[in-house]
Amino acid sequence: MHRLIYIEEAVADHPRTKAICARFPRATKVYCKHYGEVFNRKGQNFRLQKQNPALILAHKHKNHVLNAPDGYGIGGQRNYYFSHMLNCLYDCRYCFLQGMYRSANYVIFVNYEDFQQAIVDTAREHPDEALWFFSGYDCDSLAYEPVTNFTDEFLPTFSQLPNANLELRTKSLQIRTLLNTEPFDNCIVAYSFTPAALSQALEHGVPSVEKRIEAMVKLQQHGWRLGLRFDPMIYQEGFEKDYQQLFEQLFSRLPAESIHSVSLGTLRTPKAFHQNMVNLYPEEKLFAGRFDEQRGMITYAKELEEQMTHFCYDQLMQYIPQSLFFACTPPE
Amino acid sequence: MINIITALQCEARPLIDHYRLRGNAKQSAFRCYQNDELRLVISGIGKLAAATATTYLASSDTQTSSGWLNPGIAGHADHAIGTPLLAHKLIDAASEQQWFPGIVIPAPCASETLTTIDRPEAEYRPGTMIDMEASGFYAAASRFQSCELIHSLKIISDNRHQGTDQITEKNTTALIHDNLSTIDAIIDELQTLAHQQNRIEKAPIESDAFMAQWHFTTYQQNQLRGLLRRWHALNLPAAPDPNNFSQLTTSKAVLKAIKEHLDRQPVHFYEANR
Ligand code: SF4
Repeated sequence: MHRLIYIEEAVADHPRTKAICARFPRATKVYCKHYGEVFNRKGQNFRLQKQNPALILAHKHKNHVLNAPDGYGIGGQRNYYFSHMLNCLYDCRYCFLQGMYRSANYVIFVNYEDFQQAIVDTAREHPDEALWFFSGYDCDSLAYEPVTNFTDEFLPTFSQLPNANLELRTKSLQIRTLLNTEPFDNCIVAYSFTPAALSQALEHGVPSVEKRIEAMVKLQQHGWRLGLRFDPMIYQEGFEKDYQQLFEQLFSRLPAESIHSVSLGTLRTPKAFHQNMVNLYPEEKLFAGRFDEQRGMITYAKELEEQMTHFCYDQLMQYIPQSLFFACTPPE
Repeated sequence: MINIITALQCEARPLIDHYRLRGNAKQSAFRCYQNDELRLVISGIGKLAAATATTYLASSDTQTSSGWLNPGIAGHADHAIGTPLLAHKLIDAASEQQWFPGIVIPAPCASETLTTIDRPEAEYRPGTMIDMEASGFYAAASRFQSCELIHSLKIISDNRHQGTDQITEKNTTALIHDNLSTIDAIIDELQTLAHQQNRIEKAPIESDAFMAQWHFTTYQQNQLRGLLRRWHALNLPAAPDPNNFSQLTTSKAVLKAIKEHLDRQPVHFYEANR
């Protein structure tokens, strides 16, 4: 329940603004000219705000579709992301959003039609190529579904664009719309995992590994193609056993033919974001281990990265063909 | 620590009594009152006075995080006299500058926009409380503290039906007094947040012992604190002890040795980590 909903004056009468506000009848509406006045200003504390985030409803004026960062793709040549929402309901301690944004408030851009048009335009610019669009870069794709109605609004766009693939990246159990929708081939529902013990320690508010697997099984039975994302892989002493168990747990429940892709990447965070995260959570064990700096990113030591990647890759190859595997590490 | 700025003595009186604040004779620029947890300054009327008093209080605040509260009276066209309202948006009428205090605390009352004007106005502005200090208070306090810890709480003293001409010192005191439970609840919540933050920001206890033994530059002091925090975060069995590094002659060598020691430590998350 949000206590405050900040609303850009320009979208005050937007039907989606009204629908979202109707879900929070007791929230106080506060009007602003531009969401950045609330979201981007200095002197905010992400950690304090995370205790009780407000909702911000805004209009996204440009850059509805952006090039995805290196290492984000799953085999496609053209990778894009789009963010109808900034920030996340969950609170993963490794999440770079807490280092990137000054505010933990949730922003929803209500002009979905502009995102959809930009997706259609981008797909039409490259009619003979397979394009990938990622929706879970600045938020979890599904976690706020009851409020955003995101899948209901965006799936029809992609179902009519055969050369535009959509990846919904999530840790959420909000799959009702997906289960009520006829699956189509160019949409992948990709679930992110860390081993259960790490998830409990670091992924605050996230459904358990077991619950996520149950959601995946339902989606697979309904006919959706699934992705598995082990990105970031998190180190702890004895990580081999943790990841071995996680893979066993997953592949004993998910038939190999339902898996579209599996990707793997070690923890890496832009240096400035990492420092912000350490300042917010100086007592956090995740940040207390050894880290090195590689090309502006804070990463585990190279040898540890390689050890984790090789181990997990070898393990995964026992379950999936090589063709389904993608490394998330950006090129040197 | 909670820092409180009121414009008038009659607004401060119920708070001074309730919190048993003692006058601080050492402070002469403003009338100041305090106990171990709270400091109160009476700024006088107007945003400039409020900003100056806020800065004055901030300059002697030794905590990294403190709560800031500006309780007082305000007008509103429609709200009933005596209604307490937190400000969720502050507007400085003269400059049109706006601020949005983040309301993270479970506030015990509703909230409203608050506009600070320079001179009394004949008409109420629609949809906003009116006062003469809050923008000065907020602009100054937000230089020292993150917005979640800074709030203006106003008690409605006049409206379309009962104008400013009926405000007296006595009924101002009564309005504040009648809302002490609301003020108290907000102060409690701010104190909890400030304590949380101070615990997080506190320098590790061993920092002083290391700094007594070697000379660390300001930059190195930050590095030292960061490393000692890592040490604690790892839950290592032995606490950091400068005596274990006593063979090292320079601060640089000490920092390097601590870092190498920490880099060698295993990380495991199995114990409760929150
Ligand atoms: S689920 Fe993803 S977006 Fe949400 S907090 Fe965790 S890492 Fe961040």
